Amino acid sequence: MRRMLRLHRIFVAQYMKNLMEYKVDFLTGAISFLIGQVVQIAFLGIIFSQIPNLVGWEFNEILFIYGFSLLPKGLDHLLFDNLWSVGYFIVRKGDFDKYLTRPINSLFYVICEKFCVDAFGELFIGLVLIVYSVIALKLTITWYMIPLFIIAVVFATLIYTSIKIATSAISFWTKASGHITHMFYMTNDFSKYPTTIYNKFVRTFITYVVPFAFTAFYPASFFLTGENPLFCIGGTVLASVVLFVISVCIWNRGIKAYESAGS
Amino acid sequence: MIYVNDLKKEFKKAIKEPGLKGSIKALFKPNNEIIKAVDGITFHVPKGEILGFIGPNGAGKSTVIKMLTGILTPTSGTCTINGYVPQKDRQKYVKEIGVVFGQRTQLWWDLALRETYSVLKEIYDVPDKEFKQRMAFLNEVLELDSFITSPVRTLSLGQRMRADIAASLLHNPKVLFLDEPTIGLDVVVKDNIRNAIQKINAEEGTTVILTTHDLSDIELLCNRIVMIDKGKKVFDGQINELKHEFGQMRDLQFELVDINNVAKLDYCEHFNATADDLQLSNEGVMVSVRFNSDVVSVEDMLSYTLSKVHVKDINLKDADIEEIIRRMYRQEVSIDEV
Repeated sequence: MRRMLRLHRIFVAQYMKNLMEYKVDFLTGAISFLIGQVVQIAFLGIIFSQIPNLVGWEFNEILFIYGFSLLPKGLDHLLFDNLWSVGYFIVRKGDFDKYLTRPINSLFYVICEKFCVDAFGELFIGLVLIVYSVIALKLTITWYMIPLFIIAVVFATLIYTSIKIATSAISFWTKASGHITHMFYMTNDFSKYPTTIYNKFVRTFITYVVPFAFTAFYPASFFLTGENPLFCIGGTVLASVVLFVISVCIWNRGIKAYESAGS
Repeated sequence: MIYVNDLKKEFKKAIKEPGLKGSIKALFKPNNEIIKAVDGITFHVPKGEILGFIGPNGAGKSTVIKMLTGILTPTSGTCTINGYVPQKDRQKYVKEIGVVFGQRTQLWWDLALRETYSVLKEIYDVPDKEFKQRMAFLNEVLELDSFITSPVRTLSLGQRMRADIAASLLHNPKVLFLDEPTIGLDVVVKDNIRNAIQKINAEEGTTVILTTHDLSDIELLCNRIVMIDKGKKVFDGQINELKHEFGQMRDLQFELVDINNVAKLDYCEHFNATADDLQLSNEGVMVSVRFNSDVVSVEDMLSYTLSKVHVKDINLKDADIEEIIRRMYRQEVSIDEV
C-alpha cells in the first residue's frame, strides 16, 4: 500500500511535468474550464430562482444535495479519469500491452497515470455550495457527522469509479466501450435532485441498478434530515463495495480476453 | 529456462462484406470465423541463449511473444519461464523480464528521457546504488549520454530504440524479449544495437528472444532460430543446420573482360538446372550466378565459366541465410523438426 501511494505520487508528479511541458495548452485549458464553471453556477441560479420548492425540498436543501453530488464526482474525475481512455482507445489501439508488462497492478497503473486538475473546480464549487447551504439552513453539525460525511464521500466516489471500471473493462471484449461508459455515467445527472421527483422506474434504476442515487441524494438527505442513517449511509457503503467487487472481477476477466493489436 | 508446450491462440474474427452496407449487416448478423494465430508450438530455450524467432508477416511471431510476456492469454497449451506462468504470476514474473516492442515506445513521450528512467527505477524498485551502476553500464553500451536530457518526442528513431532497450534492461532482467528491435534503423545504429545485445548476453547471461525480419540480425546474433509459418513451427535449430538441411547456395561473382561475352554463358542449359537452383544476373561487366552446390558442383561451375569467358576478377561465397529463408517461404518447404 505504501509503495502504491509512493508510485501514485511519482506518476502525478510526472503528469504535472507533462502538463507544464505544453504551457499554452495548459493555460487555455485552465481558462476555458473557469469560464465553464462560471456559466454553470449562473445557470444553477437561474433554474433555482424559478423553482423555490421541489417536492418538499426547499432551495437551499437542493443546493446542498447538488453541492454534495459534486464532491464524489469531482474526486473520481480528479483521480480516476484515465479509465475513460481505456474504453475509448487504449484497448483498441493495443496500448494496454504496456500496463501488462509492468510489475504493478494493471488497474492501479492505468488509474494513476493521469491526474485531472480540472476536477479541482468541481470540488471547489461543491464545497462552496455545501458551506453556503449549511449556513443558510442553519444546520447543526454534530461531531459524528464529520466522519460519516467523509465516509459517504469516499464510498460515493467508489461508486463512480466502479461503474467506470466495469464499463471500460467491456472494451476488452468489444475493443471499444467509451460510449457505454458515457451512457452509464450520464445517468449521474439524475442523482443531483431528490429521487422522489422521478417515476418509479427511474427511481429503481438509480437506486438498485446503477446506484447513482447513493452518490448524492441518499447520503445528502441524511445530513439534511438525520433520518434513515442505515439506508442512506450504509446503503452507500454497501452499494459501492458490491459494485467495486463486481467491477474488479469484470476487469480481471477482461484482461484474459484482451487481444492486443497487430504490430 | 523457457518451456513452451503446445501453445495455441485462437482469435475470433468477424467476416464482413465490404462497405458500409456490409458493416451494418455484420452488426445484426455477425459471421465469425476462428483464426488460429498460433497453432500448437512447442520449444525450449536454455539460459543464456539468443534465440531468433522468424517467419513471414502474420506468421504468429508477435502473438507468441505476447503470450510469453503475459499480455495475451493462450487458448490452450502452457508456457513457463523461470518457473512462472506469465498470466498467473504476472506481477512477479514481469519483474524478471524486459520487453521491447520496436513499433511502440514505452518511454514517457513528453518528458526528458532521464525522467523515464527515474520512474522505471521506482516501478521496479531498483536500489539507488544499483541504479547508478546500471545507468553507467547502459550509457556505455548504448551511448545514451548525448540525448538523455532531451524530451523523448524529439529523439530520432535510432536514439529512441536505444533508449527503449536501455529502459527494458534497467532492472537487470533474466529474459529479454525484443520484437523487431532493428526495424527502420540505419546500418550504424543496427550495429550498435546488435553489439549491445551481444554484450549484455555475454556479460550477464541474459536470455534473449528476438523477432526480426532483418536476417543479418539473425546471422550475427542468434545461436539458434525457430521459424514459424501460419502459426506452426517449421524449423528449429542452428543456422548452419538450416543451411545444411536446405542445400548449399553459393554466389559466384566475376567481372568480364568483354561485355559481349555474357551471351556465351548459358548455365541453365549446360547444367540442366531449374531456376530455383541456378540464377544468372548481370550489371554491365559484373556477373553474378547463384547456384545450389548440391546440384552443380563448384568445380564444374568454375571450369565451365572459365572455359567460356575471360574474367578479370572472380569471387565465390556462401549465399546468406536470407536467401535460404526466402526460398523456404516461397516453396513452403518444411524441414522436419530437428
